[in-house]
Amino acid sequence: MQTEVKGAPAFAYIETVLEPGETLVAESDAMTSMAADLDVKAEFNGGFVSGLCKKFLGGESLFVNRFTNNTNGPRSLTLTQGTPGDIREVDLDGGSIYLQPGAYIASTPGLKLGVGYAGIGSFIGREGLFRLQVSGTGRLWFGAYGALLDKEIQGEYIVDTSHLVAYEPGMSLHVQMAGGIISSVFSGEGLVTRVEGTGRIVIQSRSMSGLVSWLNPKLR
Amino acid sequence: MNTTIECGPGCSTAHVAMAPGETCTSEAGAMIAMSGDMGIETTTKKRGGGGVLKAMKRMLAGESFFLNHFTAGQQGGELYLATTMPGDMMTYQLQAGESLIVQGGSYVACEEGVEIDLSWQGFKSFLSGERVFWLNLNGEGQVILSSFGAIYPIEIDGEHIVDTGHIVAFNETLDFTLTKAGKSWASSFLGGEGLVCKFRGRGTVWCQSHNAVGFGRTLGAKLRPR
Repeated sequence: MQTEVKGAPAFAYIETVLEPGETLVAESDAMTSMAADLDVKAEFNGGFVSGLCKKFLGGESLFVNRFTNNTNGPRSLTLTQGTPGDIREVDLDGGSIYLQPGAYIASTPGLKLGVGYAGIGSFIGREGLFRLQVSGTGRLWFGAYGALLDKEIQGEYIVDTSHLVAYEPGMSLHVQMAGGIISSVFSGEGLVTRVEGTGRIVIQSRSMSGLVSWLNPKLR
Repeated sequence: MNTTIECGPGCSTAHVAMAPGETCTSEAGAMIAMSGDMGIETTTKKRGGGGVLKAMKRMLAGESFFLNHFTAGQQGGELYLATTMPGDMMTYQLQAGESLIVQGGSYVACEEGVEIDLSWQGFKSFLSGERVFWLNLNGEGQVILSSFGAIYPIEIDGEHIVDTGHIVAFNETLDFTLTKAGKSWASSFLGGEGLVCKFRGRGTVWCQSHNAVGFGRTLGAKLRPR
């Protein structure tokens, strides 16, 4: 399977070429174009109950599409996400990664998508009460509105609320004020998320909630 | 006219270098900067042809009623063109006798030898996720188009599927029909793809990586009601 993320960071999309027999799973409506003879099958996102959980708790679609190349030559498939922004390609080797609700785009069949309780800290930090957990062996694509920044952290790191896209297991999220009471209220930072642990985190440079709160006062 | 697309795909702008006396026609409001001695004329028509009726047809396809004609001075000149939406731009060199079908609203500019006509792609356009009316660009010369999202070309020889709302332009040698993604209608709708456009023939289709309508729906749901 050849894959490449193009158009980053403003309008990232995923170009793939599936070899005969290969399969790719993608969230609902992620396909922008594809070879006419690829097989597409919609299925519940990991079973009916699990699919419902992912839809209502994990911000994902109830159905996912399974694209399979049953021809005897390479076939192209292009995928994208609903908002402008960057996309990351991550290879997992038996490990797992946590994603902000809605960030999942596509994966190879060896990966399992689950939804789990993220903790009250994540909820107050506007990252959702639940989080997506992707685990197994394979390749994963996720994305968000804005550019994505990768950070290897050791110990503590502070991220503004609603800007944390992905993080590795073994990290915990805590919400705190950006500074003292005065600076938290007047600095425009308010609450922030303190990430503790060792591993990689991915941060988004813009947020939809930021765009919305900027646009709303301008509407009349 | 020598055009380079800069700053793509996020906030593309077309830099048009023009020889002395050369003319570039653009939709109203596309100019963001130009040489000081550039001549500018605003009409409802292409030079030498068409008129108000043609301008109204253009409006049906989501384009501007007025067109601007920029003519370079004696030293030649340069022109920067852009659209209001973030996104990519592309250029295409039309050969004599060739036609390019363009999604309504994607036209930015063209050389003097290019004609802008309305194109009716049939009733399928109502469901294609694009505007009902398309533009047919023909004649000889360069055209400049824009999109929401990055633009990527697909060379088709046979069949290829493009999701509705992602077409920027295609060669007239191609034709599309609305159909399902995969083998079953139920699967196509449950999987969120719904209707897709199946292109047949030999030529190129240019796709946009993102769907403005889809993003508008996501964003619009979060905005406060007016």
